Amino acid sequence: MHDEPSTDVIQGTLDMLILKALSLEPMHGFGIARRIEQTSRGVFKVNPGSLLIAFQRLERDGLVDAAWQQTESGRRAKVYSLTRAGRKRLDDETAQWTRRAAAVARLLKADA
Amino acid sequence: MAIWRHLTHGLRVLTRRASADRDIDDELRHWIDEAAAQHVARGLEPAAARRAALAEIGPPTLVRERVRDHGWEQWIASWLQDLRLATRTLRQTPLFTAIVVVVIALGTGAVTTVFSAMNAILLRPVPGVAAPDTLITLQPARRNGATAEQVGYPRYLHLRDHGRSVDGIAAWGRAQFTIASGGEGTAVLGNLVTANYFVVLGVSPFKGRFFTADENRTPDTHPVLVVSHAFWQAHLGGDAAAIGRPISVNGHPFTLIGVAPPAFRGLYTGMVFDAWAPVMMQPQLRPRTSMQHGSWLWAFARLRPGTAAAAAGAELAALSEAHHRSIGEPDTPDALSRMRATPFTGLPGGSGPASTFLGLLLGAAALVLAIAGVNVAAMLSARYASRGRDLAVRAALGAGRLRLVRQLVTEVLTLFGLGAIGGFVVASAATTALERLPLPASIPVTLEISPDLRVLAFAVGLSLAAGLVCGLVPALQAARRDITDRLKAESAGSGRRRSRLGPLLVTGQLALSLVLLVAAGLFVRAMDRGARVDAGFDRDGVLTTPLEPEAWGYDTAASTAFYAAVRERVATTPGVSAVAFTNRVPLMFGSSVDEIAFGTATRQAHYAGIDEGYFVVLRLPIRRGRGIARTDVDATPRVAVVNETLARILAPDGDALGRTFRFRDADTTVVGVARDAKYASLDEATPPFFYVPLAQLRDQRRILLVRGPIAAGSAIVDAVRARDPRLPAPSVSTLADDTRIVLFPQRAAAVVTGGLGLVGLMLAALGLYGMVAASVARRTREIGIRLALGAERGEVLRNVVGEGARLAIAGIAVGLPLAALSMPLLRQWLFEIDPVDPATYAALSLVLGAVALAASYLPARRAAATDPLRALRTD
Repeated sequence: MHDEPSTDVIQGTLDMLILKALSLEPMHGFGIARRIEQTSRGVFKVNPGSLLIAFQRLERDGLVDAAWQQTESGRRAKVYSLTRAGRKRLDDETAQWTRRAAAVARLLKADA
Repeated sequence: MAIWRHLTHGLRVLTRRASADRDIDDELRHWIDEAAAQHVARGLEPAAARRAALAEIGPPTLVRERVRDHGWEQWIASWLQDLRLATRTLRQTPLFTAIVVVVIALGTGAVTTVFSAMNAILLRPVPGVAAPDTLITLQPARRNGATAEQVGYPRYLHLRDHGRSVDGIAAWGRAQFTIASGGEGTAVLGNLVTANYFVVLGVSPFKGRFFTADENRTPDTHPVLVVSHAFWQAHLGGDAAAIGRPISVNGHPFTLIGVAPPAFRGLYTGMVFDAWAPVMMQPQLRPRTSMQHGSWLWAFARLRPGTAAAAAGAELAALSEAHHRSIGEPDTPDALSRMRATPFTGLPGGSGPASTFLGLLLGAAALVLAIAGVNVAAMLSARYASRGRDLAVRAALGAGRLRLVRQLVTEVLTLFGLGAIGGFVVASAATTALERLPLPASIPVTLEISPDLRVLAFAVGLSLAAGLVCGLVPALQAARRDITDRLKAESAGSGRRRSRLGPLLVTGQLALSLVLLVAAGLFVRAMDRGARVDAGFDRDGVLTTPLEPEAWGYDTAASTAFYAAVRERVATTPGVSAVAFTNRVPLMFGSSVDEIAFGTATRQAHYAGIDEGYFVVLRLPIRRGRGIARTDVDATPRVAVVNETLARILAPDGDALGRTFRFRDADTTVVGVARDAKYASLDEATPPFFYVPLAQLRDQRRILLVRGPIAAGSAIVDAVRARDPRLPAPSVSTLADDTRIVLFPQRAAAVVTGGLGLVGLMLAALGLYGMVAASVARRTREIGIRLALGAERGEVLRNVVGEGARLAIAGIAVGLPLAALSMPLLRQWLFEIDPVDPATYAALSLVLGAVALAASYLPARRAAATDPLRALRTD
C-alpha cells in the first residue's frame, strides 16, 4: 500500500534476500534492510512493514530465530539469525534462482 | 513443527495482545533510531534526521496495524471483535433479543423434542451392548417375506447348533418375576435367557458372574438369577455380599449369582427388565409355555467377523426351512418356516410403524420450525431496515461490504446459538412432560426419551442451519442497499420503505399454523370416534385382572381350584353381576391365531379361550345357538362359538350351526354364532374369529373379567389374598382403560400436534402483531393527519384491524388447501374420519381468524388513540 512502485522487491524474492543478508551474521531489522539496499546498490528498497511481516512469517516457519537484546541507549532491539533450516532453504532457493535467471537471460538474448 | 510454531505464536498474539503490540512498537522504534543514526552519520541534524527517518517509514501505528493484520490469528481476533459488537448491539435491544431467542427456542425445541423421541426409539443403540453393528435380529418369516417376532425353542436349538456364519445365537423370553430377599416381594419384568445371552451381547457382569453353558442343559435344575444394577441398588442395598445368597423368585428358591452393568436393561425399547434367569427354568417361571411348543423367544446372533448379514440370513433361512420340514410340518404359504436376519435394534418386530408415525410428527414439528424461522426472518428484516442508517454510516466510514455482512451474520448466529440452547432446554422439558404422559396402566412401558449429546448436536446444527437460512437473506439485503439512498432517505425522515416481504411472511406463518391445528383437530376427532366406535361389546363397567398362580408353583389341578375359589368369592360381592375367565382380553395387544381346516380348505382364524360367563360379562350377543357352557370340559366333544364372519365362511349359503372344522387336530363343532366385534384394533376389517372353552384349551393364561363397580376391585384382591397370602396382589384395571391402548397413537399424536399447533399459532399471532404494530408506528403521521382532518377513531380502528383480517383471510386461503393436500397422509390413524372433514377445517379456520383479529386489535387500539397534534409534531 505504502510501497513506492520503483522500489518493489520482485514477488517472492524478499524471503530469499532476507535469508541471504542473515547468512553472514545475525542482524536487526534495519540492518537487514540496509544490507539489502546496499548490496543491491539501491535497486531494492524495502519498507519496514513488508520486512516485519516477512520476519514474522520466517520466524514461524522456523527459518530464522529472533532474540531481544539491549542496545547501548537502553532500548530493546530484536536480532534475527539464520537457523539450520533457514540456511538449507537459502541454498535451495539460490540454486533454483540461478537456474531460472540463467534460463530467462538465455530466452531474452535469443529474442534479441 | 512449523504448524505448531504458527499456532503458538498466533495464540500468544491473541492472548497477550498488548505485549505483542509492544514488541512491534519496540522493533519499529529501534528501526527509527538506527535509520536516524544513519542520517546523522551522513551529516543531518539529529531532529531532521529523525523526521527523515519517520518520513521514510510512514506512521508507526499504520505499520503496526499492517504487521498485526497478517497472521491467521487476526481472523479470530476480528471474529471476536464482531462477536463483542454483536453482543453489545443485542444487549441494547433486550426485548427484541429475548423475543427472537424464545421464538427460535420454540421452533428448534419442537423439532428437537420429536427428534429426541426418534433418537431414543429408532436410532439409539440398545444401551450396554457391545458392537451392536455385528449383531443381527432373527425373525421367523413366511415364504412371502412377512415376518413374526418370536421363535420356539426347538428351532432356536437347531439354528444354534448348525449355524456356521455366526459366532453365537442367543434367545430370550419375557416373564413376570416376583423377587423376594427376606421381606416383601417386588414384582419386576424378567427374562428367561439362553446361557450364552450375555456372551453373545458382549455384556460383562458388574458383580459376580453370568450364566455358564452348563446352566443351559437340564430343565428345572439351575435356580440362579442375575439382577439389574438398579434392582441391586434399590432392593439389595448395593451389597456385594448379596451375591451367592438365596433369593426367592415367584416363591421358588434361587441363588443370586450376578449383577448386570448399570447401562444394561434388556433388549426391548420401552421395557425395563430387572432380572435374568436361565431359559431352563421355564417350567417354574413361565409354566404356561413349553420348551417344545409355542413361539415365545426373541432370537439374535453375533455375526462371524467378515460375514455379511445377508449371507448369514440366507444360511439361517435355509437351516430354518430344513428344520421345519424335518419335524414334519406342512409348508403352507402361511407357515413361518423361514428366518430373516434384520439389523439388531431394540425393536425386534421392526421399526416400520414407529418410524412412519414419528416421521409424521417430525414433519409437524418441522412446520413449527418453519413458522419460527419465517417469524425471525421477518423480525430481522425489520430490525435491519430500522438500523439501515447505522449500517450506511458504517459503510460510508469504510467498512467493507463483506465485513458488514460478516458482522450481521455473526449477530444472527449469536441469536440462533442462544436459540439452540433454549431449544435444547425446551426439548428437555417437553420430553420430560411426554414421558409422564400417562400410559394405559397395564402396559409396563418406560419411555426414556430424554435428549442426549446426539440430540444436543442436532439442536445446535439445526438452529445454526436455520439461522443461516433465515438470517443471511435479510443480512445480505441490508448490506446491499445503496448507501447514499439510505442516508438521504433516512435523513429526510420519510419513513422506511414498506416491505412487500412482510405480509407474505405473515401469511405463510398463519397458513402453516392452520395446517398444524387441522392435524391436531383431526386427531382429537379420531380419538373421540375411536372411543365411541361400536366394539360389538360393552367396554364400560368391566374390571380385568390377570392371574398367574402357575408362576407360584400351582399345578393344573391347584390352579383350577384356585380359579373356582376366586370366582365364587368375587361373584358374591355386592354389585357384581357376572364373572368370567378368558385368556385374551379383546382390543389389547396380541391375539391367538391358528389354522383351521374345513372340507378341503384351510385358513387362519383368530380365537380366544372363554368360559360360560364371558358373553354375559361383555354383553356380547349370541345370534344363534348357544354360548360356551360350564359342561364343555376337556372330556366332552370339542365345541366352538364362531363370529358371524366365520359363520359365513363355514356355511356361505346355509346355517353354520352343527358344522365342524379341524382345530389343533380335533374336530370342533359349531354350537353358536356370536355377533361380529372388534378384536385387535378399532379399525380392523372383521377377521374370522371363534371362541373355544378354556377347559378344552391347554396351557393358557387367565384373565378375570368382572362386571361390577370399581369398588369391586378390592374384593378381587381380597379374594386372591384370602386364598393364598403368598401371592402378590393382582393388579386390577378396567376394560375401558385397557382398551384405550388402541387409541394410544391418536392420543400421542393429538397431544403432540396440539402442542405444536398452539405454539405455531402463538408464533404466527406474534408475527402478525409485530407486523401490524410496525405498520401502525410507520403510519403514525398519516393516521394523525387523518384524525386531524376529521376521521372517526372507529374508522382508524377498523382500518388497522382490517389489515390483520386481510392477512388472516390470506393465511386461511393458503392454509386450507395445504391442509387438504397433506392430511390424507394421516388417514391410517383417523378411523375413517375424512381427512378433509369440513367441520374441523371450518372450526379451526374460525379459531385462527379470531386469534388473528385479537392480535391486530391491540395495535389498532393504539392507532385509534393517536393524538393528532403529537403525531404531526414528531419527525
